[in-house]
Amino acid sequence: MSLEIINKPILATIQDMGRFSYSNIGVSNSGVMDEYAYLYVNKILGNDFGTNALEISFSNVQFKVNASTQIALTGAKCEFFINNVLMDTWETHNIKKGDILKVGRIIEGTRVYLAVSGGFDIKKEFGSNSTTIKEKLGGIDGDKLKKGDILPFKSSQPTYKKRLHQEYIPKYSDELILRVILCSQEDNFSQEEKDKFFSNSYTITNDFNRMGCKLNGEVIKSDINGIISEGIAFGAIQIPSDGQPIILLKERQTIGGYPKIGTVFSLDCFNLAQAKPNSKIRFTPISIEEAQEKLRAFYHYFR
Amino acid sequence: MIFKVASVDSLVIYFGNEISKEIAQDVQKAYLSLRSLNIEGLIEIIPSYTTIYISYDIFKYDYLSLVELLKQSINLEYEDNSSKNIINIDVYYGQEVGLDLSDMSTKTKLPIEKIIEIHSQKLYDVYAIGFAPGFGFLASVDKQIAVPRLSSPRKSVPKGSVAIADRQTAVYPQSSPGGWNIIGRTAMELFDKSLEKLSPLSVGDKVKFNAISKEEFLAQGGII
Repeated sequence: MSLEIINKPILATIQDMGRFSYSNIGVSNSGVMDEYAYLYVNKILGNDFGTNALEISFSNVQFKVNASTQIALTGAKCEFFINNVLMDTWETHNIKKGDILKVGRIIEGTRVYLAVSGGFDIKKEFGSNSTTIKEKLGGIDGDKLKKGDILPFKSSQPTYKKRLHQEYIPKYSDELILRVILCSQEDNFSQEEKDKFFSNSYTITNDFNRMGCKLNGEVIKSDINGIISEGIAFGAIQIPSDGQPIILLKERQTIGGYPKIGTVFSLDCFNLAQAKPNSKIRFTPISIEEAQEKLRAFYHYFR
Repeated sequence: MIFKVASVDSLVIYFGNEISKEIAQDVQKAYLSLRSLNIEGLIEIIPSYTTIYISYDIFKYDYLSLVELLKQSINLEYEDNSSKNIINIDVYYGQEVGLDLSDMSTKTKLPIEKIIEIHSQKLYDVYAIGFAPGFGFLASVDKQIAVPRLSSPRKSVPKGSVAIADRQTAVYPQSSPGGWNIIGRTAMELFDKSLEKLSPLSVGDKVKFNAISKEEFLAQGGII
């Protein structure tokens, strides 16, 4: 009872909420880049919070179905075929032995989440299925999915179809506003530099992966060259000496030494995860109190 | 102790603003006292040179309530009864693995043998672990052989490479990009998934590098 990869995907990995409490020995949190799409794919399948799913970047992954189950796809708008018939995403599909699934061209957004009922039956590594390729941890042999990989699952009976209401399906735009919590090294940036940061627009460069997202735009200067290396948060905005911000994402290193002007609010990092190079970004401040309240409401809904 | 917001669900505690043994000891005591208390809802606790980073469950705390709790809980007088390990790391300092030895020799105006002797003489403290699993930040390297990071990092530093950046030294547990000056290689595993203690290094431990011959290195499973 499994899905079998029958082509050569560019980048598809098994992910979940991430790997926690090993940062003190240098292990990255990793985990899904876009929790919004990921939590919904599990919710519409009726899966437990934190069930694993596939994160598919770029395009073209093909699977052979070896037993009946229910699946769903969320995230980036893509061409999704079951036996060459174009299907909708953000809804459940019953699939059966012999079916061929294909995630083709990605049209809007960048990351697709594919989950099966009950999740893939894969052994966790340090409490998580999240694949971190550079650490060779999680997933299948700590690597991206390859032709011939088998993703086992427990078969399930076909059931009625569930579809997410249109209003909850995100539109991925080329212009994003990211809310920022000012943080520890804020004082190392003058008011003038902070004003520059919040009033200019930045462009996403090609240096954008699971580790971080490098921006290009108005140069920001801090009054220090570097800090003494310290633990870094999801969404932290580092300002290296060239003055171009880098937003650190799920697969960030655990400790870093660049000054940080603030941290992008997690919910907005999930939107950022679906953005493309050349998209425009603006920053706006948010208080820690408001951010915590909004994040509690978000997780409360999915738990 | 100064508390600062790091993100929606994390904070950083500052114990000072310079790399020093005294501050590192405060960090260490605070870290061990926090660990021993097993406070619910603290997800990550990452000690570094002068800081402790903590990420937490926002369903259990808001920022201010956690700061209050931490102020009451952290004990800088904590009696550290754990025995301090001295970890011996055998290093082959040959030039075919010590990729930057000859450059360092030019920069420091010291013969290669002297660089090796100085590096392998000292006992280093483990100040932090991060960057990659099992990557320990060790200090302090003798001033005579302290050389800055390469101006452009290597795309891939071989696994087991022993390296220097300014007054820090470290071993790359896996092949990875990196900009430190490589002086040798060890066959020792610095991150082993099959062991209960995944990394032999812990913050507070001490490390001693021992120079070994090529034959010994190869016999230990070293790869050139």
